[in-house]
Amino acid sequence: MILLAEAPPGTHPTVSVCNAWYCTFNYDSLISSAIAIIITILVGFLVADRLSHGVPGKLQMLFEFLIDYVRGLIRESVGEGGGFIVPLAMTLGFYILVANWIDFFPLAGPVHPANADLNQTLALALVVIIVVQAYSLRVLGVRGYFRRFTKPFEMALPVRIAFIPLNVVEEVVKPVTLSLRLFGNIFAGALMVYLIGSLITFLAGLVPSGGLTTALGVVLGPLAEIGLIIWKAFDIFFVGTIQAFIFTLLTIIYFGMAREGLEEEGHGEHRRSAPATAETGG
Amino acid sequence: MNHAIVLAGALIAAGIALGGGAIGAAVGDGLAGNATIQGTARQPEAQARLQIIMFLIIGLVEAMYFINLALGFYFITAVASGVQ
Repeated sequence: MILLAEAPPGTHPTVSVCNAWYCTFNYDSLISSAIAIIITILVGFLVADRLSHGVPGKLQMLFEFLIDYVRGLIRESVGEGGGFIVPLAMTLGFYILVANWIDFFPLAGPVHPANADLNQTLALALVVIIVVQAYSLRVLGVRGYFRRFTKPFEMALPVRIAFIPLNVVEEVVKPVTLSLRLFGNIFAGALMVYLIGSLITFLAGLVPSGGLTTALGVVLGPLAEIGLIIWKAFDIFFVGTIQAFIFTLLTIIYFGMAREGLEEEGHGEHRRSAPATAETGG
Repeated sequence: MNHAIVLAGALIAAGIALGGGAIGAAVGDGLAGNATIQGTARQPEAQARLQIIMFLIIGLVEAMYFINLALGFYFITAVASGVQ
């Protein structure tokens, strides 16, 4: 079996270009994410190539449904001027979905689900958070951006000042949870496959020893193999899909949270500055 | 000798962390399912929409447990290879 020969998940083979920490690469993650990127781009171009105004094909219909859904979510939580989020959120979600589903095929060598490497998911989350902060600065203005750290707005001023550390922690924790959630799910899936696989070898080792242990190995071995198949299907098609969806949804929600305070400021103390930048910025 | 004690401690700690995480994830799943059942009983026509939200919440809740599992494994391997 292919999975028995694999090293335990979490150990990445590295290649170093120069002798410093910043040019050491986990080349297995690079290869597997490159495959996922190529598939994502190819599917995107395929859909764009076969675009028709008449009766849409199945793939086009699926994409139109998904984009419609994402657009509705953005309209609900971000509002007007959030149109630029659609390509970002859709691309991230589709890329994560492809990267997770690649694990369905029997992979050999250095290829593994790309999101089982924390570097990869942290990069995705950092991109999202940097764009979110930039959007927040542009929509709210510098003053509104720092005012957002004094949530909740309806409280008295001393209480709002006391809330500043909590809000700072909330902002810092966002990329950490966003990346750890995806990484933890995919990595734990690969880990469980590895553990059940080693259980199968252990049970197969019991068979030639004779007596009760042989019966144990013969009975439990096939059960463990069925369990492996069930877990793998659950891991890829349920967990992988849900996590891709959650990443997309949280991206949109973070954009929605980035413009908190805009409405209050619109009919609050200073009318002019923030909404004007919001209109020109979007 | 020292290494063995540290490794044993790491394994016990990982076991406690996994057990506690499983309890939390189970309670969270149960709460999400409970709310979905109540919502469906009140408004049977909302079942499809509620189920999507339920699976979303379950994904968020179980993510905590999977982070637990992954980090626990990381710490055990780090202890097993690092402490001599």
